[in-house]
Amino acid sequence: MAFVDLKDICVSYDGKTNVLEGLNLQIKEGELVSLLGPSGCGKTTTLRVVAGYIDTKSGEFLVDGQNYTKVPVHKRNFGIVFQSYALFPHLTVKENVAFGLKMRKMDKATIDKKVAEMLEICGLSEYKDRLPKQMSGGQRQRVALARALVIEPKLLLLDEPLSNLDAKLRIQMRVEIKRLQKKLGITTIFVTHDQEECFSISDRVAVMNGGVIEQYDTPENIYAHPNTEFVARFIGFENFISVHKQADGTYKAQDYTFKTETTGKDEAKITIRPDDIEIIDEPSSLNGVSGIIQVRTFLGKSYQYEVSTPIGNLIVNGDGNKVYETGQDLNLRLPAHKIVLV
Amino acid sequence: MKKSMPYLFLLPGIVLLIFFLMVPLFSILWPTLFPEGFSLNAYTSFFTDEYYIEILIRTIRIALIAAIVCIIMGVPTAYFISRCNAKWKGILIAVSIFPMLTNSVVRSFAWINILGKNGVINNMLMALGVIDQPIGMLYTEFSVLIGTIYLFLPLMIMTLVGVMDQIDNDMMEAAESLGANKLKAFIKVVLPLSVPGILTGAVLVFTGALTAYTTPQLLGGNKSLVLATLIYQRAMTLNDWSGAGVIAAVMIIITLVVMKVLNILAARLDKRGEVDA
Repeated sequence: MAFVDLKDICVSYDGKTNVLEGLNLQIKEGELVSLLGPSGCGKTTTLRVVAGYIDTKSGEFLVDGQNYTKVPVHKRNFGIVFQSYALFPHLTVKENVAFGLKMRKMDKATIDKKVAEMLEICGLSEYKDRLPKQMSGGQRQRVALARALVIEPKLLLLDEPLSNLDAKLRIQMRVEIKRLQKKLGITTIFVTHDQEECFSISDRVAVMNGGVIEQYDTPENIYAHPNTEFVARFIGFENFISVHKQADGTYKAQDYTFKTETTGKDEAKITIRPDDIEIIDEPSSLNGVSGIIQVRTFLGKSYQYEVSTPIGNLIVNGDGNKVYETGQDLNLRLPAHKIVLV
Repeated sequence: MKKSMPYLFLLPGIVLLIFFLMVPLFSILWPTLFPEGFSLNAYTSFFTDEYYIEILIRTIRIALIAAIVCIIMGVPTAYFISRCNAKWKGILIAVSIFPMLTNSVVRSFAWINILGKNGVINNMLMALGVIDQPIGMLYTEFSVLIGTIYLFLPLMIMTLVGVMDQIDNDMMEAAESLGANKLKAFIKVVLPLSVPGILTGAVLVFTGALTAYTTPQLLGGNKSLVLATLIYQRAMTLNDWSGAGVIAAVMIIITLVVMKVLNILAARLDKRGEVDA
């Protein structure tokens, strides 16, 4: 049985339009699950439902078999890390971390011990008497994490916790979060709009769009096999070609035939990442198409070409060995095992 | 342009301040210290007169109680307003400052209508048979207090809304997630963070109540004199300008002391030390 179980959750702010449309999500104990999606897709709303800040219109929310749908926030015992960190500016790092334990009316010795332990784990011991404003973004982030973890929460909820950090610190912190989460074995929900961040950290990813989960799978599966065009676009697929199925199971776009590893409905789209299209010397009759380079963009490790072909413009990333000029003819091959059908 | 040029732009302001603020103040305070040569007689006679001391204490008491009541009533109100959406915030702020839009004489007369012998409250209580004789609520310390609180509560609310608006709602939510119910989260998080606003508001209400003239004059009459009405009496009725000057000096000193004390208090209570009251 799932540890966290969201059943047919509907949420509406104005009573008319639903922000969440019958959302279902199951999370196993100890798992780190990301909610991924563009702004307005309902991922933060989902997290706030779990946290208890938003009432549901309908549906049930269970943790460990217990119904939490109507339990008030302060009785849920979930640790939450906010995008803004929401540290208490009038309290020191130590007092911030101790807040949750004080609310539980623990005795002072126990509080001191637990706080000291948690500060140690998060590498904050030397900052324990500082005020939040005397700390850097990454340090504040760790205080927020320590404060949420010290109460030994049933669930850890992270609402875009890294979006206020610079790129380098982000990578550092997400490794840190993953390390702590695994070490303490806390079931975690992580909200983000950054696919790289979410793939690197998650056991499973729920890609959300318009208040529903479009795909819920491991990062590897989502990366390689997006189910829908939306998911594919969101995780970096750029070339979408409308095709229809032939009697032999191949797909055809105008006069070009594409062989794929899987087959599906008759009218579909094939999609492929710019990195996966091969530039070849001779035109290929199967899975091949030719075109003229319209735009060339320098990406750093290689060039990106926008190639106009009879079946539409394709974005192709060069491999860096050979550089082509704008206006040049290019023969492309779309390898069957890289093509995804949506 | 010479380096001293920019300072020239300060000149009009400085001249204005000197002639319209400093000079009148000095012309009032100077004679209290130097009637003919330096002397503190005017002050010693003020502080040894029991009648004056009684008025002094009454004034401070009214200002203090008014400030405390304004804090107690203003904090929840301001917090409620600060958590409303923009539309309701606008409406509620307009409603709470509405009394400030009318003249303080009119406002005091409104309270005369309510508290007087033939006022709303007495008429109602008599009609209900709770009392036989009207209660003398007007021209007491109580009526001055009511009028003062009514006068300054909007000021407190406005000051607090400004400060509480800055408190991120995430902080309340974080406190709740850590096991604090709404009341506890308010006491542990919002209240300490509102200290600068509470103290600023308290200074405004206290000094305002200390120096208010119209309200104690109309609602307190001659029975419940305060320093402001006493000054008027000394100066206009008895033509004792030196005596009036002494009282004015005492009021200024009380105001300065209170501001200083509250500032020190603020620095103690609020470790962030961001208070400028």
